[in-house]
Amino acid sequence: MNLLTRIALILGFLGHYPAYILAYIIETLIVLIFAVVVVAGMVYFFRKYMARVQMRIGPNRVGKYGVLQVMADGLKLIQKESIMPQGRDDLPYKVAPLIIFIALIMGFVFIPYGPLAWLGTLTVTHSDVSLVIMFALIAIMPIGELLSGIVSNNKYAVLGSLRGVAKDISFEVPMMLSVLAIVMMASATKGISPLDLNGIVQAQNIPFAILEPLGFFVFLISMAARASYSPFDMGESDSELVTGNTTEYSGLRFGMFYLGLFGTIFLGSMILSTMYLGGYNGPFVDDLGFIWLLIKTMVIVVISLTIWLSMPRVRIDKFVTFGWKYLLPISFINLILTGFLVLGGIS
Amino acid sequence: MEYDEKSRYIELNMGPQHPSTHGVLRLRLTLDGETVKKVEPIIGYLHRNAEKICELDFYCDALIYFDRMDYVGAMNMEVGYLEAAEKLLNIEPPERVKWIRVIMAELNRIASHLVWAGAFGLDLGMLTPFFYVFEEREKILNLFTEICGSRQETNYMSIGGVYQDFNDKIIFRIREFLDEFPKKLEEVYNLFIKNDIFISRTKDIGILEPEIALSYGVTGPMLRASGIPYDVRKDEPYLVYDRVNFTVPISKKKDVLARFIVRFEEMRQSVKIVKQALDKLPDGPFFNPKAKKSLMIRLRGEGDVYARTESTKGEFGVYMVGDGSVKPYRVHVRSPAFKNLSVLPYLSKDVLIADMVAISGSIDLVFGEVDR
Amino acid sequence: MIEVKEVEEPRRIPIIGSIGGMYTVFKHLFKKPVTVQYPEEKENQGDRFRFRIYLSTDDCVGCTLCEQVCPNLTITMVSLDKENPRNKRKIYPAVNFGTCTVCRNCEEICPTDAIYLKDVFETSRTKNSFFYSPTELEKNEDEVRR
Repeated sequence: MNLLTRIALILGFLGHYPAYILAYIIETLIVLIFAVVVVAGMVYFFRKYMARVQMRIGPNRVGKYGVLQVMADGLKLIQKESIMPQGRDDLPYKVAPLIIFIALIMGFVFIPYGPLAWLGTLTVTHSDVSLVIMFALIAIMPIGELLSGIVSNNKYAVLGSLRGVAKDISFEVPMMLSVLAIVMMASATKGISPLDLNGIVQAQNIPFAILEPLGFFVFLISMAARASYSPFDMGESDSELVTGNTTEYSGLRFGMFYLGLFGTIFLGSMILSTMYLGGYNGPFVDDLGFIWLLIKTMVIVVISLTIWLSMPRVRIDKFVTFGWKYLLPISFINLILTGFLVLGGIS
Repeated sequence: MEYDEKSRYIELNMGPQHPSTHGVLRLRLTLDGETVKKVEPIIGYLHRNAEKICELDFYCDALIYFDRMDYVGAMNMEVGYLEAAEKLLNIEPPERVKWIRVIMAELNRIASHLVWAGAFGLDLGMLTPFFYVFEEREKILNLFTEICGSRQETNYMSIGGVYQDFNDKIIFRIREFLDEFPKKLEEVYNLFIKNDIFISRTKDIGILEPEIALSYGVTGPMLRASGIPYDVRKDEPYLVYDRVNFTVPISKKKDVLARFIVRFEEMRQSVKIVKQALDKLPDGPFFNPKAKKSLMIRLRGEGDVYARTESTKGEFGVYMVGDGSVKPYRVHVRSPAFKNLSVLPYLSKDVLIADMVAISGSIDLVFGEVDR
Repeated sequence: MIEVKEVEEPRRIPIIGSIGGMYTVFKHLFKKPVTVQYPEEKENQGDRFRFRIYLSTDDCVGCTLCEQVCPNLTITMVSLDKENPRNKRKIYPAVNFGTCTVCRNCEEICPTDAIYLKDVFETSRTKNSFFYSPTELEKNEDEVRR
């Protein structure tokens, strides 16, 4: 029983085919709403967490405890005039924030959400290659950042984009190598498809973070660098390049970049908990799977935000050195160790 | 294709509205990719003509303009001005006043260094320590409100005295603060210094050789971090600094990290000084009756004096000429931040932009003082 | 001889030190916020806090000392039609709060203590002038606003 069939059952009075068509639409809407709500909630959570850690109160004026602050900010950004720079390349300038935002929202479709009470499994899509699609979507996002910097006719933005590219090429190879280790691990288990995120979750009787601590470390750093928050925010380092590639954006387009940042943190934490912490696995998995996933994700989110708030920015050349000289060997070692584990039949 | 020397470099304008430039510093950078080839600081956006305004008014009125020079360490500016003015006007402050001034100057030195540490953290991308140091600074400013009646530009001291006396409650509150402060200071210090990324951003960056520092006229923590133990409080003691016991921290490492460590050690020394001063605080009047009430606009001075003090940024010198009237003939200020800023183009040759920001953050610039 | 202490970089363990910093930051999550929500709650300003200048026109003798000592022409003398045997010239100080730096020199110098400061600091106005005439200086803030 999954979400789709549950909705279709409720709509069963319409007949078989209309019920399923309507159920598909409703399910899509639910996922979209979930993604947007989660991203907005992430912004609120970040602001509140940052404030409390810094001994402030944070947003507390709009709504009870300021919960409507994000909505108010969003409304403000929508109403605002979008000031565009002269000499921009118009189409890429307008497309760039959309690329990031759409890739982010699509990423939410492929996460295995796990079962929740009588609703059954909430997982939206079953694809045998959802892992590949997920990382393809993650790989699309840098294109948006790169485009936005290059076409907005601003020196800060260009410098930010160049840094972003240098950063991306230095962490993505180790990231994919650590993902490869996960796939190796999962393929050792009989009867599941190792490129399916759902299959990876099912393969984790022991969470992979325990079996592959090195891979977990590499992937955590890669996700931090992908979301580009401090210490890896060289691309938009506010004390050096104003805000890097998003310098010339305002209004709703800026809002998309902003949501993109927080959404990527949440999505990255979700992928991390799916791939390394056992996803929806936990006691009473049939009833509380989704809750377990959320709890694991929130733990990762809190860790990420604490890293963000307590670390200074890495210098770009140091990060490139770190990526190629430390992360890459570490991920190779991780791969070799995983090979031994798989051969030994531990997983 | 013809090779064009000009098109190889990017000209980038940083500031005056820029998150990392501490007010209104404008930097014209010549970049080769990420590498800074040339830095040209352009100053004057906060120029308020303070030196000239001082000539237009009574001796007692110039003080508020000194408050607004280094607004982060206003007490030290007041001490600097009064050292010169009292020498020129032949007014000796009572003994108690001298000790009170030492206490206030050192408390403000702590506050100023705390602000520097927070802003330096922001320059490097650390968001949180900024709030921790500001919490501590807020306690000092609350003390100032208790003592002086206002927070930052206090105008607490006056010629030959101070605005109001210390009382038991104030002394108790300062002691209370000093008991708690070192623990908080160590917490913030460890937050910075134990961080690997922080070390990698500051170590061996912006090395300032002692000879170069001397030839540029760099003073204060910058100079001491280059290994030269020069401190006006020790070399030419003013107020009662010769009667308190403290050490001058130096470092032989000469880099940004050394400046950071030296400043934090100075805060610890300041705590020591304030504690001693509170113990030794003598009884007596808190003003000189020769400069009180309506006499304060009848003070006349003749001749010229130069007084130097150790402000939070370095050697703060005031040169004053009096022509026998109630107004000074000329006031000139040797501002340490201005001299320290002049070494920035030398330090940030062939470094990355990120390092340039770290170096300019380590100088401790306050633009009220640079532009005056 | 100058007492010199050479400070050294303290020893640290890689990565563990950074995690310690993260823990320090996380620890502050459970501390009470230190910010003051201004219009609802107000911080105690201390006994010596001063901002608003008050004037007692009965005591003022019109000596113009406050105008002279004022560093930036905040105080100007204006004439006011009021019977005061001690103030024959009938001039009283008027204050432009837009430029007042609260140096308290006027309070210090006033021979009759006619001009004095109080800890009222909410002097915001809707009209674009902070100029207070002598009669307004006598009144409280809410009376002036009316």
